[in-house]
Amino acid sequence: MRIALAGNQNSGKTTLFNLLCGTNQKIGNWPGVTIERKAGMWLDADIEVLDLPGVYSLSPYSADEEITRSALFNEDIDVIVNIVDATSIERSLYLTTQLMELDIPVVVVLNMSDSLAKKGLKVDHRQLEKSLGVFVFPISAKRNVGLDELKNAIVNNEFVKRKPQPVFPAAIEDEIKTLEASLESRHRRFVSVKLLENDHLLTYLKPSGLTTAVARLADKYGLDAVEMFANERYRLIEAITKKAIIAIPMRHSLSEKLDRVFLHKIFALPIFAVIMFLTYFVSVGLIGQLTADGITYLIGKLNAVIATSFSAWGASPWAISLVIDGVLGGATSLLVFVPQLIVLFLIIGLLETTGYIARISFFLDRVFHALGLSGRSLIPFIVGSGCSVPAIMSSRSIEHDSERNLTILLTPFIPCSAKLPIIALFAGFFFPRYAGLVSFGMYFLAIAVIVLSAFLLKRRFFKQKPGTFISELPDYHLPHPVYLLRDVFDKTWEFIKRAGSIIILSSVMIWLLASFSWRFEYGVDPSRSMLAGIGSLISWLFYPMLGGNLSWGAAVAALQGLIAKENVVASMAVISGLASEGTDGAAIFAAGGLFGFFTPVTALAFIVFNLFSAPCVASIAAMRREFKTKRLMLQAIVFQTSLAWVLASLIGGLGTLIAQGFGL
Amino acid sequence: MKKVVMKPKLAVGASGHLSDLVLGQKAKVIALHADDPARRRRLLDMGITSGVTVTIKRIAPLGDPVGIGLRGYELLLRRADMANIDIEVVA
Repeated sequence: MRIALAGNQNSGKTTLFNLLCGTNQKIGNWPGVTIERKAGMWLDADIEVLDLPGVYSLSPYSADEEITRSALFNEDIDVIVNIVDATSIERSLYLTTQLMELDIPVVVVLNMSDSLAKKGLKVDHRQLEKSLGVFVFPISAKRNVGLDELKNAIVNNEFVKRKPQPVFPAAIEDEIKTLEASLESRHRRFVSVKLLENDHLLTYLKPSGLTTAVARLADKYGLDAVEMFANERYRLIEAITKKAIIAIPMRHSLSEKLDRVFLHKIFALPIFAVIMFLTYFVSVGLIGQLTADGITYLIGKLNAVIATSFSAWGASPWAISLVIDGVLGGATSLLVFVPQLIVLFLIIGLLETTGYIARISFFLDRVFHALGLSGRSLIPFIVGSGCSVPAIMSSRSIEHDSERNLTILLTPFIPCSAKLPIIALFAGFFFPRYAGLVSFGMYFLAIAVIVLSAFLLKRRFFKQKPGTFISELPDYHLPHPVYLLRDVFDKTWEFIKRAGSIIILSSVMIWLLASFSWRFEYGVDPSRSMLAGIGSLISWLFYPMLGGNLSWGAAVAALQGLIAKENVVASMAVISGLASEGTDGAAIFAAGGLFGFFTPVTALAFIVFNLFSAPCVASIAAMRREFKTKRLMLQAIVFQTSLAWVLASLIGGLGTLIAQGFGL
Repeated sequence: MKKVVMKPKLAVGASGHLSDLVLGQKAKVIALHADDPARRRRLLDMGITSGVTVTIKRIAPLGDPVGIGLRGYELLLRRADMANIDIEVVA
């Protein structure tokens, strides 16, 4: 048995899905969090549950909404569980009247929290059931109330007992029925309504009598069918809710109060800037300073213990080096940053679940609009400070092609969590007291780069008329602590797993290439190794940004960043680990070492290059999917890398010249 | 602090566009003119049908978009789209 969850955006479908299936799918408080069809199994029941992107109607407006319509229309689904948010019941039932047109039984789940009931919202669900002709179930997804009854009803086929009531006046119903009789497809009623509306997805069907039916209705109502159907649906809903709603509370008063602060005319922007400043200042600066030394010390101890026990067992020097420098060196150099990432993930999670993002995208829409973007572009940008891949995918809810493509191109500029170690390593060593400030500065620079790029590319991408911003404003929510912590744990664990898999693999490769010469002699000076040979081929590219230094090591590290951005730090740790002890900044940047030439200026330039050049392969693949063309993806990568190169070369080259001029 | 009083452009009973209203004004939707069919349909789906009562609930600090209260929820719209909605001022 298979059921599908359908409902408006932000109505709590994914919360219910997680509750039913015991999963931890992403929950956020903005319209359009779910952008894919996701399947799970209902705990202790033989029922497959589909979570679908939220929609307001079955006439899709953006790509994610198209997924929902096609899943409901084409897949074998036994029951549609329609989540109706009790606070916006009129708009929610509009979708219900459309779902009722499909050949699939509908069960309405009235999602109502206890706090709403306390505030005085009273819905007579029996009355609602009677007027709609479908099964109505009040539940509280947050408190897990009413779910067993829902399960029993579904398992026992109780929903079949109901018959949907007619939605439209007799004249319209008659036209629909006539058309239905001439069709042979599935979902005949739904298809008939869509045909009368002249839906572009169904124009291949041309039943006889359609044109005359459309003309008759236009004659009678003096409106086109789309507006007529919308009017009639809402007319029925108004009549139904008048009977079924006993009391409706005022809008969440706490939300109003919070908005007076967060959406204040003057303070809104400074508050946003302070929140972003604190995000990076606290995670990189404060937490970094508190934890980095301790973890580095522990890792050093661990490596020393392993090295001594290996030599005690009589392992050869190359084997010890493989384990210490190759396997452990790269991976452990990243573990230092775990506490910082936990804090970053926690703050992003809070921004996403409380409803703050939705407000900032409302507030900044005008600015984004002027840049050829939409207020909705803010969501990928915030999600992108965690990981670019889901961020690029979340751009799917932007319906306007130009705005969406520009957003996809710009999203990788936001420093993701894998780039954080690069900033933290360089800033922690070269600007030890201002690491937090430097990383916020980099975030600020990223915003400047985005604005500049949008300005440059606006004309290239903008070939349509301006887009819209049609969205609902959700109330603030208190985040669910369990889900929030699980989300932070999942993301952190993902980072550790990557350090233990793909990063170790890349590190071992780097170790191998850096430890052997072209004649397969082990233990050569790294500068005579195969890796040095490979790096030298491209090191000239980095000559200007490194202030006139040819460094095969830095070139290789940046190249490795294409596989995963964590590799930049890991590769530097492996390469320098061959010449010295330890994997922290002090060891990597030791004077006389391979990376001893870095100055504060060239460090900044190198960070800038790695932040803004082509993202990792996973993000490139995501860009390819969302752009839908290879050409746009290639153009985007070339643009990103060229811009990063010019910017880094300017900082590194000019900065070094200026520093020398002042005799610094 | 000096209280800024916004003078309504439209008096009660007057008709005009939704974009002409000031904060707090209430109106009844008369007709929808959006030329782009997808956009027009979206507005209808969101509940902007003729006869519905709308209230200007909030205006973004930069003047656009605008938060409109209708059917028990709040819809955010750009002024450019509001200019396509004919209304009659109720209060």
